[in-house]
Amino acid sequence: MGDPLISIDRLARHYSVGGEVVRALDGVSFDIQAGEWVAIVGQSGSGKSTLMNLLGCLDTATSGTYRLNGADVETLSDDQLADLRNKEIGFIFQTFQLLPRASALANVELPLVYRGISRKERRATAEQALRSVGLGNRMHHRPNELSGGQRQRVAIARALVGDPSLLLADEPTGNLDSQTGEEIIRLFGDLNARGHTIILVTHEPKLAARCPRAIKLMDGRVLGDGPGAEVAALQGPRAVGT
Amino acid sequence: MRRAWQRTVSEWVEGLRIALSSLAANHLRTFLTTLGIVIGVMTVIAIVAIIDGLNASFATQIGNLGTHTLYVDKWQWINTRDDWWSMRNRKNMGRTELEAIEREATEALAVAPMAGRSVTVAAGAEELSGIRCTGTNQRYLETGGGSVAAGRFLGPTDVELSRSVVVLGADVADRLFPKVALDEVLGKRVRVRGAPFTVIGVMARRGRMLGMDLDTNVTIPFTTFLRDMGGKRSITIAVTSAPGRLSQLEDELVGILRRARRVPPEKPDDFSMNRQDQFLKLYNQLTGALYGVAVGVGLITLVVGGIGIMNIMLVSVTERTREIGVRRALGARKRTILLQFLIESSVVAALGGAVGTGLGLGVAVFVALVSPLAAAVTPGAVALGLGFSALVGLLFGIWPAWRAANLDPVEALRYE
Ligand SMILES: Nc1ncnc2c1ncn2[C@@H]1O[C@H](COP(=O)(O)OP(=O)(O)OP(=O)(O)O)[C@@H](O)[C@H]1O
Ligand SMILES: [Mg+2]
Repeated sequence: MGDPLISIDRLARHYSVGGEVVRALDGVSFDIQAGEWVAIVGQSGSGKSTLMNLLGCLDTATSGTYRLNGADVETLSDDQLADLRNKEIGFIFQTFQLLPRASALANVELPLVYRGISRKERRATAEQALRSVGLGNRMHHRPNELSGGQRQRVAIARALVGDPSLLLADEPTGNLDSQTGEEIIRLFGDLNARGHTIILVTHEPKLAARCPRAIKLMDGRVLGDGPGAEVAALQGPRAVGT
Repeated sequence: MRRAWQRTVSEWVEGLRIALSSLAANHLRTFLTTLGIVIGVMTVIAIVAIIDGLNASFATQIGNLGTHTLYVDKWQWINTRDDWWSMRNRKNMGRTELEAIEREATEALAVAPMAGRSVTVAAGAEELSGIRCTGTNQRYLETGGGSVAAGRFLGPTDVELSRSVVVLGADVADRLFPKVALDEVLGKRVRVRGAPFTVIGVMARRGRMLGMDLDTNVTIPFTTFLRDMGGKRSITIAVTSAPGRLSQLEDELVGILRRARRVPPEKPDDFSMNRQDQFLKLYNQLTGALYGVAVGVGLITLVVGGIGIMNIMLVSVTERTREIGVRRALGARKRTILLQFLIESSVVAALGGAVGTGLGLGVAVFVALVSPLAAAVTPGAVALGLGFSALVGLLFGIWPAWRAANLDPVEALRYE
């Protein structure tokens, strides 16, 4: 295998809250190759979202290094990070993060706006993305006119629309019924098969078990890293990692 | 390269779209925010329009004084109270000076005496009092004295022979001979200060100059004036130069007059040269001060309006913290966010400026209708109003926009 797409080394993210230090992420190291499909699992508060924000170049680490495509993210300028988020990364947030006053279509178009794609092309691409998540008939609805699952799918369409090489999904199926969730996972499977790297946070051991690889976090540290089925089965701190 | 350009274009378009939709979503707030700007711009536009109107009417009025004419007089027309006392004691201006200038001034194209007093003019039962009677010669018109609408002006022989002929001002002709055609007024007999005169001409209408009605006057030969209206008064002598040689003429006249009036070399001039541009200068000083007040008032209200805009933009940034986080997460650069909010604040302010300009022009037109003040709407004033308000929006939008652009994306996304 060549250079890993993602390489993090002793990555830490500490918050100080009222004089007390919260170690949301406390020295995490792993590599992810291009084309992998990795699940991040762990209890609530174990640092999954914190890790995703760092991987998504939205946040900067307190210490440690993060190399994306061989480039040390720490050395990139703010504009370069913005362009990276725009072109290379598709982010699906745990809380959707749709613009409330914009239609589903406008929400999905947004990444393309910041890429400087013409209005017509933008529209066509966004419509295509919405259809691919089964929302072809809800394009002009606003988020508050959509169900939770539909909103989630708008968020997914928005992450996919720019055809990013790295897809980061924080609980993408948390709000979906099992059948829709299944469809989304199948969609991810297709994307992965086409070469997209996918990192997916999930609470569901069943889902993690289906991923080729899973990383389990606990209190900001890696508890286990290995084939999905094995890691998903890990229990508590006495379990041993790789 | 092409991409970068396209990106810039879509950033602007998006910024404008966001600004408009955000303004549309908050009608009332937008309205209240712009109120300060509206009032500021309205005040400035109204005052400027009125001043411009005054300027235009003043320019026409002052045009009644010859541009290339010096008015030699015992009095300085524009003076202070202190000057007045010293000028009172000056020797009267009279025939001696007139003849000296006519004889010696090589720079002079035309020389006309102007003796004046208030008289009563009558024809039949019609009697007009408070009419200004000017005694002058045939060169008077050349010094900027207007033009003749019917008949003729005074000729050399009228002056030489001290004929009892008169040229009526437009209003005098109208009022003495209402409903009579101008041509038929010629040859009529009128009484000026009781003495019989024959009408030889009627002046074209001239309007007003500095509060003086130039159409309620009569003009008679200078010599006749001295004979019938009293010869002891000090006169004014209008002397016209070739274009661009006014100062040469002035220098020459000073020498001639000092000799004619026997002013000792160590004494200052005991006469004054009045000219049109002195009035312009004085007038410009006055309106300059008025302009200053208008600009001051306008600036203060604009600053107040600007602070209002800054305040509301800060609120808007806080309200849309999450939106900013989302945009940043999806690839908006800092300056994209900055631009978005700057566009919004400029658009609000320019909107206020447009409304204020409209209202200000309305006020100016209203003032012009109900008062003698004129109002002129110049494109410059409108551009000034719009440009200034947009600039205020831009300036006062910088701080809120800067705050928006520098929000931490993760924290912005987490904002409740
Ligand atoms: N901005 C912050 N300030 C202080 N503490 C924070 C902040 N963000 C996260 N934390 C803390 O860091 C820890 C990890 O949070 P994180 O959101 O990564 O958990 P998670 O694994 O995503 O949980 P969940 O499954 O519930 O989403 C938590 O204890 C949380 O309280
Ligand atoms: Mg989380």
